[in-house]
Amino acid sequence: MTALDDTPAGPAEAGQVAAPDEAVGARGLLRALLRNRLAAAALVVLAIFVVVAVLGERLAPYGRNEVSSADKLRAPSLEHPFGTDQLGRDVLSRVLIGAEPSLRVGLVAVGIALVAGVVLGLVAGYYRGLVDDVVMRCMDVLFAFPAILLAIAVMAIRGRGATNAMIAIGVVYTPIFARVTRASVLTVREQVFVRAARSIGAGDLRIMTRHVLPNVAAPIIVQTSISLAFAILAEAALSFIGLGTQPPEPSWGRMLADGRGFIQDAWWMAVFPGLAIFAVVLSFNVTGDALRDALDPRQRSAIESAAGRG
Amino acid sequence: MIRTPRASALAATVALLAAAACSDGGDDVPVGGEEAGSGGTFVAAISAQPDQLDPHQTTAYASFQVLENVYDTLVVPNPDDLTFEPSLATDWETSEDGLTWTFTLRDDVTFHDGSELDSADVVYTFRRIIDEELQNAYRFATVEDVRAPDPTTVEFVLSEPTPNLLDHVGSYKGVAILPEGAAEDLDLATEANGTGPFRLEDVGADGITLTAFEDYWGEGPGVDEVEFRFISEPTTALTALQTGEVHWTDNVPAQRVEELQGSGDVTVETVPSVDYWYMAVNFARPPFDRAEVREAIALALDREAIADAAQFGLARVNQTAIPEESFWYHDYAPYERDVDAARDLLAEAGVEDLTMGLMVTDEYPETVEVAQVIAANLEEVGITVDIQTEQFSTWLDRQGAGDFDAFLLGWLGNLDPYGYYHSQHVCEGENNYQGYCDPETDELLERAATEADEDARKELYDEAAERIVDANSYIYLYNPSVVQAWTDEVSGYELRPDRAINLETVTLS
Repeated sequence: MTALDDTPAGPAEAGQVAAPDEAVGARGLLRALLRNRLAAAALVVLAIFVVVAVLGERLAPYGRNEVSSADKLRAPSLEHPFGTDQLGRDVLSRVLIGAEPSLRVGLVAVGIALVAGVVLGLVAGYYRGLVDDVVMRCMDVLFAFPAILLAIAVMAIRGRGATNAMIAIGVVYTPIFARVTRASVLTVREQVFVRAARSIGAGDLRIMTRHVLPNVAAPIIVQTSISLAFAILAEAALSFIGLGTQPPEPSWGRMLADGRGFIQDAWWMAVFPGLAIFAVVLSFNVTGDALRDALDPRQRSAIESAAGRG
Repeated sequence: MIRTPRASALAATVALLAAAACSDGGDDVPVGGEEAGSGGTFVAAISAQPDQLDPHQTTAYASFQVLENVYDTLVVPNPDDLTFEPSLATDWETSEDGLTWTFTLRDDVTFHDGSELDSADVVYTFRRIIDEELQNAYRFATVEDVRAPDPTTVEFVLSEPTPNLLDHVGSYKGVAILPEGAAEDLDLATEANGTGPFRLEDVGADGITLTAFEDYWGEGPGVDEVEFRFISEPTTALTALQTGEVHWTDNVPAQRVEELQGSGDVTVETVPSVDYWYMAVNFARPPFDRAEVREAIALALDREAIADAAQFGLARVNQTAIPEESFWYHDYAPYERDVDAARDLLAEAGVEDLTMGLMVTDEYPETVEVAQVIAANLEEVGITVDIQTEQFSTWLDRQGAGDFDAFLLGWLGNLDPYGYYHSQHVCEGENNYQGYCDPETDELLERAATEADEDARKELYDEAAERIVDANSYIYLYNPSVVQAWTDEVSGYELRPDRAINLETVTLS
């Protein structure tokens, strides 16, 4: 995966540097995204997702754990558009309320990975040498584990629950951010404007934050969008095996797990939370792809090779 | 079959419905093929792999599913009313003072290695359990001596009358009779030398194979071979049964029972079990030390909904432990759901914004289901329930350390009221994790333990049960059913309330 690791500024990276004043404005970026119809649809889905996650309980016709044994396993109807589960709870309400933990875990986990990964990648790429070796070899070790396995291992140490799921997923995705950041930093640090800043006496910290970071932002933004998709999927997977969000809190992964035993009698229990996961994860992926195209078509290969883990 | 709480714990681990996510469908070897002139191979799908096969050490239900067919005990519970009938002992009598029990053994019993059973084997067995303080040693606390006056007679000398001694020496294969020296000669965790209808042939990672023992003293066996396969996922086990890959399973998803009984392609039978499931709160943690708070919780519960969540209409609400079918059943149900009364009680106790941690384990998925119903019920009276799903080992550690507000679990396989009530509710009981202590209950339970007259004994237990229920030492919830299914090829199998899987008389067509 890493032709980039030790080659300072090979041809692959040469093209990916945007001069400081060329950065795409947020408005321009949005316009570019909306021109892509698929991306526009994905953004709509994500907007709905965020609104549902924020409003959650207020949109839901029933409570999060409103059990009613008389109404269990009801098929979809006007009263319960997505049917009811084995405890008589309204599946629609739980899918709506379940958006919030998905988004929260996804955002916080990616936030952890983003901050930790970018700092590590920046330091490693900027200073090179021993720091680079130590940091990136540690990242390689983390990278060597299959993602979900590593997350389960972290959960085994820290215990169950949504908070630990965030930490686990954050740890798992840190190396990707470190690599993407470092790969870009390696080329930016050789640029004229960086040398110029140094020549007028700017300190390392200032150069890193004011000159290098803004110029490596594009691939990091793309990676963030893609990682959100993975993080939400990982949260669902952890909840599916009972480690993530704990009952009675609704979570899509957990609902899927509960629905599995009833798939022959009550397909709606698994299908609707499954569709929710599908829609959100796909939308983040599509958005990530579109962002990448919009930000710089030439850097596709760099990101793919750095993020190329299963 | 699993007696001690801890046993219930561990044991259970493996037990019943359960087991977590991953499983596999077992291999695809077709069964019943060996026509060769006789009974064929009976294939049973059980939900878990036995942890080990030493009957005196294991507490896992899966182990006893196998051991039931390999070993015998002095007496056995009759499948219908669970009273004790002869097995290796043909006869027993009690001295007038109740301090000596004399068992007469059958003289035609051989072990699987060909040696003959005599009283020395029985003495060896009980000495091993008692002296090595194995799993069931606590049952023999009143036994001062086990001796063998002649080859077919065994005497138990007791320090106090023990009216339920038969239960102790025969309620399940955890007190199976081993040949003298078995623990030294064999690795009992993986080898066996019993007197049962089948001998242990092969222990593997996918399954365990038993072969018919031709010199078995009783009837049968009716098949040449029994193969136990481990299939943890209920839907997978059911599919294996429906496709004829296995002949029998006890791993049937409760929600499918009704439909399966209607469809007629397999036989599904249910019988009320002797198990009970309950919630206990920690008397050492305020405000659960207050009777009003416990009563408020008991009044807030929708027990029908709880039983329904646990086993889809197959579990029966019971506010005491012992099921209706038992001689020891006591009809006492003081709690009827009353949200307002529960709120009033909490207000009276001055309790506001109470959050109760409720410890459950996905080793027993029904506890997670039930906990969600309890959370919804208690929310209505203003108690927030924090459901804490733990791995069973962690769960047990926390239970042992008293590190809980409340927990949900069940007791399996009890027959005698001593097993239902004693160690769970006497002040110093080894299973009294909730910390209930009431001198009067203690006295009733102690007297009942040594009362020889059955009716007088029942009265004592009834009185104790009422005190226990009134104080909510345990908040009893329901008795589940035993659910098992088999194919049309199987005949002669009988479902038992104590979940023993006895294949002695089973035949295949």
